[in-house]
Amino acid sequence: MRLFSWWLRRALSAVVTLFLVSILIFTASRLMPGGFAEVVLGPLASPEQKAEVTAKYGLDESILVQYARWLGTALSGDFGISMISGEPVTTEFGLRLPVTAQLALFGIGGAILIGVPLGVATAVRAGRRRGGAAVGRLLSGLGVSVPEFVLGSVVVFLFSRFALGLTVGGYVPFGADPAGNLQSMLLPAAVLSVFVIAVTARTTRDAVLTVLVEPYITASIARGDRPAFIVCRHVLRNASIPIITVLSTVSAYLLGGAVIIEYLFNLPGMGTYLVQAVGRRDYAVVQAGVLLAAVVFIVLNMVTDAVAGVLDPRFGAAAKGRKQ
Amino acid sequence: MTWWRKADWLTRSGLLCLVLLALGTLAGTVLGIGGDPDEMVGPRLAPPNGEYLLGTDELGRSMLPRLFEGIGTTLVLSALAVLVTAVLATLLGIAAGYRGGWLGEIVLRLVEVLHSFPVIVLAILVAAVLGPGQTATICSIILITIPLMTRVVRAAAVSVSERDYVTSAVISGARWPRILSRHLLPNLSGTIAVQGTYALSVGILVEGGLSFLGFGVQPPQSSLGALIQQGSIYLLAAPWLVIGPGIVLVLAILAINVFGDGLRDSLEPREARSLV
Repeated sequence: MRLFSWWLRRALSAVVTLFLVSILIFTASRLMPGGFAEVVLGPLASPEQKAEVTAKYGLDESILVQYARWLGTALSGDFGISMISGEPVTTEFGLRLPVTAQLALFGIGGAILIGVPLGVATAVRAGRRRGGAAVGRLLSGLGVSVPEFVLGSVVVFLFSRFALGLTVGGYVPFGADPAGNLQSMLLPAAVLSVFVIAVTARTTRDAVLTVLVEPYITASIARGDRPAFIVCRHVLRNASIPIITVLSTVSAYLLGGAVIIEYLFNLPGMGTYLVQAVGRRDYAVVQAGVLLAAVVFIVLNMVTDAVAGVLDPRFGAAAKGRKQ
Repeated sequence: MTWWRKADWLTRSGLLCLVLLALGTLAGTVLGIGGDPDEMVGPRLAPPNGEYLLGTDELGRSMLPRLFEGIGTTLVLSALAVLVTAVLATLLGIAAGYRGGWLGEIVLRLVEVLHSFPVIVLAILVAAVLGPGQTATICSIILITIPLMTRVVRAAAVSVSERDYVTSAVISGARWPRILSRHLLPNLSGTIAVQGTYALSVGILVEGGLSFLGFGVQPPQSSLGALIQQGSIYLLAAPWLVIGPGIVLVLAILAINVFGDGLRDSLEPREARSLV
């Protein structure tokens, strides 16, 4: 029962946060100088034309009325239309979400399959050589220090200049041409993964190092257990909380839209779409996009808490419920 | 400076590298090494040579002074923003962690709202509202770095305020300014310093990304991000326009991160053990 009430509180708190996000994004989008009418009609439009466009989309009403109307329809699942294309926002998102989701999937896959093992492998060897630890720190530091737009520019340069077999740009949907899709997504996914893998590896390494000096590891070594067994049985489970937390942070980051990667490799994802929408004052798109990202962020946090509770009851929701 | 004696060679070289970069840039700007960054002196898109050490850009401006100006802009903007973040995050974190109650709830809620915005989209919204430029860059960095730092400072403040020395200070009648200056701030300073270095590297990344997308520092002023953005247009014809700023950018962020890691390790030392 306590557990249930803890989750109920959690859900209510999430709703409040989303409500605040919606107010903030609505206010910010109306504070942007130069309204929608100026952007579509250009600088030469007459005041009458501007007034007509403004009235057509209800932008002449007070911001409170506009917000109330938007919130009312949004609660019933209607997020309005893109004023640029005239299509419903949900339809527009449907075209771009697959790109972002695919990139995110590659990134998260890299983090789990490469980042976590790399972190464990460098951690269990950390105390062996004096210089080894510093080299590991330098390399993982390098991974998080190379900005996406620098690494991306280098990759674009190399692959455009020397015809290395993979093309830059030329996105096709996976459904239309799976091979062509993978060919165009491989490079952006690789560039994106470097940072994500490095962040995951660093956090994993830290978590594992903290666990390795615990008495139960000493006991396990004394019993003569093999290192692989110790890692699987004791280390991973006890180091799991920071690891899944960083995986969740990384997922939220990736699903928020990798703006720079999409821009560099010409991918029609959510990131570039939102940036364009900000530029064109396409209010409904900006509002729904930011709200969607906030929902993803909050849901991921809740899922992380739930998984953490299962993996390690000391930290879980059950423990938090007990405290109250 | 006990941490300096405890720090390893990597941490020291990180700090040294950063100091040299800042001093070199300052000297280069003040002494005017390489000439005026805005003057069109040479042939367009000339590769690095004896006269123009880093080559020239598409308008025939020498890249060396432009790089000096760019490093200066990036470092000053990020450092200013992180300074503001550090002060605000410390105040908010202590308010939420030490005082708690409804004030803590409000702080945590605001921080969560900011945290749930995608980073670059938040920066671009700020740039759209304030207009692209230096003010927008600074505000974006502050809004992006403040959530994480506030949370970490709050967590540290909670654990410090549960210590016996704080309890005994409260019992002996100490007012909050004394508790703050004698107990909380000294014990939080390490955490704040470490988080500050990480925030600085995020700040440089945000400045770079925002300027790269054209919403940050505006021409003719240069910054590392702006230089890379302008250079990337001529990437195939004149790669030196991107290589110089790119290397400096990576070096600066790497130095800060390595220094931050070392600082953390020397403030919270721990034993290491190897399994294999």
